[in-house]
Amino acid sequence: MDLIISLVINGLATGMLIFLLAAGLTLIFGLMDVLNFAHGGLFVWGAYTGIFSYAYTGSFIVGIVVAILTGLVFGFIMEKLIITPVYGNHVQQILITLGFMLVLQEMIKVFFGPNVVAVKVPEYLAGSWQVGDIIIIKYRIFIIIFGFIVFGLFHYILTRTKVGLIVRAGVMNKDMVQALGINIKRIFLFVFMTGAALAAVAGVLMAPYSGSIYAELGMEYAILAFIVVVIGGMGSFQGSLFAAILVGLAGSFMAYYVPYLSLAVNMILMAVVLIFRPQGLFQAAKG
Amino acid sequence: MMENLLKLDNVNTHIGQYHILQGVHFEAKVGEVSVLLGRNGAGKTTTLKTIIGLTPATGGSVTFLNQDITKKPTYDIANLGIGYVPEDQGIFAQLSVEENIKVAMKKESEESKEKLEYVLNLFPDLKKFWKKAGGNLSGGQKQMLAMARAFVNDSKLLLIDEPSKGLAPIVIEKVMEAIVEMKKRTTILLVEQNFFMASKIGDSFTLIDDGKTVHQGAMKELIDNDEMKHKYLGIG
Amino acid sequence: MNKPILLSRSNLILFIIFLALIAFPFVMDSRTLTILLTQILIFGILAMSYDILLGYTGIVSFGHAMFFGIGAYCTAIMLNDFESTIGVFLGSIVVGMIIAGILSFLVGLLTLRLKSHFFAMLTMAISGLLLVVAEKWRDVTKGNDGFTFKAPDVFKDRIVFYLVVLALLVIVFITLKRFVNSPLGRVLIAVRENEQRTKSLGFKTLYYKVIASIVAGVIASLAGSLYAVSLRFVNTSVLTMEITLDALLMTIIGGVGTLIGPLIGSVVIESAQHYLSGLARDFPIFERWIIFFGIIYILAVIFFPKGIAGTLQSKYYQWKAKKVQTTNVVPLSKNKESSE
Repeated sequence: MDLIISLVINGLATGMLIFLLAAGLTLIFGLMDVLNFAHGGLFVWGAYTGIFSYAYTGSFIVGIVVAILTGLVFGFIMEKLIITPVYGNHVQQILITLGFMLVLQEMIKVFFGPNVVAVKVPEYLAGSWQVGDIIIIKYRIFIIIFGFIVFGLFHYILTRTKVGLIVRAGVMNKDMVQALGINIKRIFLFVFMTGAALAAVAGVLMAPYSGSIYAELGMEYAILAFIVVVIGGMGSFQGSLFAAILVGLAGSFMAYYVPYLSLAVNMILMAVVLIFRPQGLFQAAKG
Repeated sequence: MMENLLKLDNVNTHIGQYHILQGVHFEAKVGEVSVLLGRNGAGKTTTLKTIIGLTPATGGSVTFLNQDITKKPTYDIANLGIGYVPEDQGIFAQLSVEENIKVAMKKESEESKEKLEYVLNLFPDLKKFWKKAGGNLSGGQKQMLAMARAFVNDSKLLLIDEPSKGLAPIVIEKVMEAIVEMKKRTTILLVEQNFFMASKIGDSFTLIDDGKTVHQGAMKELIDNDEMKHKYLGIG
Repeated sequence: MNKPILLSRSNLILFIIFLALIAFPFVMDSRTLTILLTQILIFGILAMSYDILLGYTGIVSFGHAMFFGIGAYCTAIMLNDFESTIGVFLGSIVVGMIIAGILSFLVGLLTLRLKSHFFAMLTMAISGLLLVVAEKWRDVTKGNDGFTFKAPDVFKDRIVFYLVVLALLVIVFITLKRFVNSPLGRVLIAVRENEQRTKSLGFKTLYYKVIASIVAGVIASLAGSLYAVSLRFVNTSVLTMEITLDALLMTIIGGVGTLIGPLIGSVVIESAQHYLSGLARDFPIFERWIIFFGIIYILAVIFFPKGIAGTLQSKYYQWKAKKVQTTNVVPLSKNKESSE
């Protein structure tokens, strides 16, 4: 029982990190019909800029803020320079975003060095609680709470605000939103920057969790995020939360019980979903 | 003589490599219901899309309220006061009736509230299903929702693409009544295959064939001209 | 090469290059250069196979490394476990090609009906899965540490191996050229241009796409076999995304849909990798030479989607057309460029 609870906490924490990454990916895909293969690059940039400012200032909160700013700035530049020229052309989008991923990843090594960087959990989040026989690591709980807060916040924005309404309408029918007098390009930019910021936050939160960061980490997590987006249904925000938790839990249980299958299980899950239900488990309906 | 609200002058539109519109002319006069007629594939729907900027013209000019809107982006055109009801109604299926209309309402002014009240009186069904998802409405209700949504957005001109398509005769009747009523407050440009409907509510007509305007005039003219009806619409 | 049709000007140029490449190791007695050139030719074969997918059929696969890796492992394992003779070497190439063919058939059948986004992701995942399997299955693959093996004795002479690779490259080039110019290849191009329309013309596009993926997979496996022998060593890096990325960069920068483009791309990237990493001792920025290629690649996707070969080719046609036009005095207004 104790074991199961700690595995669940583990899985939820990983799931939340993947969710933060996947949420932006899925919204960008649903609204803009762009699959961003460079999303992992934003993640790893968030991790590095955040962790380096955390190390410099000593404040983890500053680190998170810097990561968010990095995400927003990179998101802005990327949308304008990389995405806008290739709207509507899927093959070019796939090629160009993957190329940008490569550049982002290598740039990390130029700016921050090619070596693995060790990261410590900030003191007030370090350590663990003991409840009965169960040891609960504080930082994992922090990630889970953070993830749910972000989910709640975005759920609120999407369902209760005008911008959210427009984004949801845009996912269903872009042309009609424009014909109702809304500049969809601005909404695209907004969503893209938000998604990038979420990816960057996921990066900085992941760093103390895994204990170390390196440039290739972006690609590894991006693959998990792709899997989540596919399982959850492209464009579905709730779906990505559900699928992220599923992938997180599957990963944590598999890693304990059948370690050599732990990565494979997610890939197989995605392959099965893609082959039998390519629209994902939750479908964002198009109008 | 009434003022021209909208004027298309030798409009040409390409979609991909296809030259769909090859010279469309016409004017829509304030307070009238103008009807675009022509057989399937003549370019009527593309004409509406070109006006709203979804398939921008590649030649010629579109003038609205004495402004050249040929190259303007869709949202600018819509904000100048053109409402658009596409052939498939373009309802946001997972949004409720209320939300569908809210997307369109730019500001919560007295005027827009009054307009909303007006259309809800016109289409009481919308009020009844206010919280229902747009995708679960009947065909006729979707048509009404799309018209209401286009109207509340401060529209001086409504572009309506085949409102009668796929609807039962009794529902068509309702939609016709609504258009006649809305005409009191706005100008309407209609694409319609159903000649009976077009002839009853239209003030003027424009005949399009093979992407070109072949005739324009008062609706009465066309009603009496069996030869033209036969040649371009395959009726009579 | 004795059919008169083949003696066009461009084929003549290719033939001269071919002769120069044969003569090269005898003229320039440099071991490093021979090895570099061998590497270029091997990746040229890989990039050409990728071009069948990306350039001719218009599908983006992120899993091409798996076929390369299969070839590499087949050859390495067979040369290690059996005698390292030419016979085993050739046999391992055939076995690798057969396995790659079967795998690409199965993967293609499962994935090619998906839209481009999903296809790219799923191929990435399947290839990632294979990498995980290879890393865990240490009894056979020795994981990331890899293992060395003995190459057939004749290949001790680098020049012999170079010539074998060159000969195989020429065979692959001619075969693929024939393939893309065959009626089947024409259908693939039609799929690239407009899959929906090709479908509505009555072609079962899935069938054609699967064939393209089998051809590409089999050739990639050949490249993998040669790669393993060239290093006399194999580890799981032959299955990584890097290999797919290399093929992708070469194809895009060289020029998609030309076959000769990917070869140019291989020359550019492999030699740049070689010389730029040499510069890295003095200028650390060159350690990250891939950035320059990433940027060139992005610019190429936006501004020169046809790559080096394609851009040169269309410039050449334009120049030719201009020559014709000035003599025939065609009205200038018709001279407008039309991009595809």
